[in-house]
Amino acid sequence: MTVMEKLSQAIPLANPWINNWRNEGKNVLGYFCTYIPEEIIYAADILPVRVRARTCSAGDTPMGDAYMTPTACSFTRCCLELANQNQYDFLDGIVSCNSCDQIRRLYDNIRFKAPFPYHYIIGVPGCVSDTTHEWFKHEISKFKESLEKNFKVSISDEKLKKAIRVYNKSRELLKEIYNLRKHDNPPITGTEMLNIISAGMSMPRDQFNYLLSQQLQELKEKEGISDYRARIMIVGSMLDDPEYLKVIEDLGGLVVVDSQCLGTRYFWDLIDENKNPMDAIGERYLSKIACPRMAGKYPERVDFMMKLIKEFNVDGVIFQRIKFCILWWAEIFMLRNKLKDEGIPFLELEREYVLSGAGAMKTRVEAFMEILEANK
Amino acid sequence: MEEEFYQKYKKLGRGSWGKEFLLIKGMYNGMLNLMKSQDQFIEPMETILKIFLSIGKARKEGRSIIMHPFNYGPELFHTMNLQPLMQELFSVGLAPFHMNEPYLDFSNNVGYGDNPTLCNASRPLIGAFLQGAAPVPDLLFFLSTPCNSLSINYQVFESLTGVPTYNMDIPYWACEQDSEFYDETIMDYIITQSKEFIEWLEKETNQKFNIEKFQQTMLRLNEARGYIMEFNELLKTIPCPAPSMTGFWNWFFMTNIGGTADAVEVTKYTRDKTAEMVKEGIGAVEDEKIRIGWPYTHVFFEGPNLFNWLEETYNAVTIMDILGYYQVRPQNITNLEECYESLAKGTLEYSMIGSCRGPVEYYIDYCLDYVRDYKLDCIIFPMQYACKHAYAMARITSEIVREETGIPALIFGCDPYDSREVPSEAIRGKISEFIEQVVL
Repeated sequence: MTVMEKLSQAIPLANPWINNWRNEGKNVLGYFCTYIPEEIIYAADILPVRVRARTCSAGDTPMGDAYMTPTACSFTRCCLELANQNQYDFLDGIVSCNSCDQIRRLYDNIRFKAPFPYHYIIGVPGCVSDTTHEWFKHEISKFKESLEKNFKVSISDEKLKKAIRVYNKSRELLKEIYNLRKHDNPPITGTEMLNIISAGMSMPRDQFNYLLSQQLQELKEKEGISDYRARIMIVGSMLDDPEYLKVIEDLGGLVVVDSQCLGTRYFWDLIDENKNPMDAIGERYLSKIACPRMAGKYPERVDFMMKLIKEFNVDGVIFQRIKFCILWWAEIFMLRNKLKDEGIPFLELEREYVLSGAGAMKTRVEAFMEILEANK
Repeated sequence: MEEEFYQKYKKLGRGSWGKEFLLIKGMYNGMLNLMKSQDQFIEPMETILKIFLSIGKARKEGRSIIMHPFNYGPELFHTMNLQPLMQELFSVGLAPFHMNEPYLDFSNNVGYGDNPTLCNASRPLIGAFLQGAAPVPDLLFFLSTPCNSLSINYQVFESLTGVPTYNMDIPYWACEQDSEFYDETIMDYIITQSKEFIEWLEKETNQKFNIEKFQQTMLRLNEARGYIMEFNELLKTIPCPAPSMTGFWNWFFMTNIGGTADAVEVTKYTRDKTAEMVKEGIGAVEDEKIRIGWPYTHVFFEGPNLFNWLEETYNAVTIMDILGYYQVRPQNITNLEECYESLAKGTLEYSMIGSCRGPVEYYIDYCLDYVRDYKLDCIIFPMQYACKHAYAMARITSEIVREETGIPALIFGCDPYDSREVPSEAIRGKISEFIEQVVL
């Protein structure tokens, strides 16, 4: 079995890695957003697993439609649907935050209609300042206390420091792999990369790091991909479906970098290992490359996108926006003006959480590829 | 309205506006024409006209205009002699005259959202700005709550205009000690941010914050809050002594002129008129049969027509909408720190902020109190399709209200700002069916 095949075992909702963890009598918590500090959960010897809902059938979300409403994004409708079908039974609880209005209300609807033994929500400030930093530290301290109380564990500074080291190691390894994608012939596709990142969010992190190191070594020795038509950057929110990227890559667009929740915005920034661990966690999570929910951070998000476009020699940007997502529609409205100014071609695609309408998507991506080729 | 009054304000309206204020001029004239056929509630309506006039006047006088959202009181702005401009004037104020629709269409055409995604309370501003029809304020201020549409719209406006912008974070947790969501540090958090906001205003406007004036403003604010609390109590009377729109105007005044003498005067007027009705045992709706709860915003494109129709067709009074449900009580403000606390409390409990900024329990408790305190017969949720945070609370809330009080609820989707989405007739049809088949 190749390393990639081993990692792929961690992609299904309930997977062998989670089963083994649970068989040791240990707890698993589902979480919803890149603003949830996994290190605190991991330091409690609880496995943090990013909640996904890819087994949900497109358009078959009666519970989600009724309670989240039909004009909520399909990710939140799918999550409520699966929670109601007990498909998250491997979780001992969920941790959410006020990422966006829909995730905030998903948390409420789950609590009332499909509850777990443990629920917690972290209030993440909507802007970044010294004052909000202090508040966020207070928020995550309350979260730590809640875990200690409910799971009868003690989360010492030593455990937190160890968790930070483990998670930073992942970030460093992922960044090394991303650096290989800067080459003219990158050794890995975007589809494979998304699989790796998804796996990391669904398995014990030290074991992920072990496999990631092996994967990195393999990639360093691998002959790169040369038969692509254009180098693509993907920008958008929660996309965990590799098939979506595969549609693009099958048409010759090699995804070389991204600014996504399951991508750079998840792992790009490290936690300072020399500071008090709770302070360092708070600082990293509030100051990391922001999501559009974070007011005042638009210029930084633009700079980040432009920096990656340059470093990864991107030919064109594909914005993927999940239908009914408030934040990303407005964000893309601003970003595309920037790309126009810079002369960088882009394509905007609206999608549902579960891939549907691949035919129409193929037509648009193919046309985009032709434009990019003509530009060369 | 007397002809002399009409002519006076017609004259005042002439030449008070620069090109960039033409939309506000349109609202002013629309309101004046509406008033022409009215012989009651003239004093509050006059205050509304004065608010519109003050915006154009501020620009002429060189006073800074600060744009702010519908859920934040303007006390600090009045303290600092800044002119508040509520952003939602461009949706709420234009909708009854259908004047917002071209700007919504323009927003669609330039790719700035669509109705089920981005709230049309915000989008007209962008459409109007891009067509050169919206004034550019000198400063922008917004809150992180109650919704993403509001928050991101300010970010878009900021990026388009480059206007200096300040954002205040409003946390999820409760400030009441008896709440299961209580956080003991929340008041300090808001007070600290309020003081930082004042420092920012000082820097941006190059003036010193006048403590004495602030305290006077907070005293006046307290007085107006007191009148509104008395008004809210009077609404518990059966029959309801005030017409359906009255509470809404209390919110409007607090959001535009809160902390001023005019706000004290107008809220006192409303309280007094309502008290007189109670004293005389007169209901605002003849032979009141149904008391409706409306825990969301008005259907703004209807103006007062939808409530008038309910009153005339079903003898149904709508007690207050979610904005009119202004529940910020007067605070103890004997010293400066208590003034800041009062400011913070008002920020956390403002209409729609108090019920929507945190867990669904805040909204459920609001609805349960509303039903019980005002002896409601039913609840109508006219949910804006794009209002993700509120729409996704309606079903749970209606179920709990039904379980605990036996009161039925109607939930329907619409766009309160655009009659082309779900037209008047369709809305009335849904309400009629509900009232005739469930409530009566």
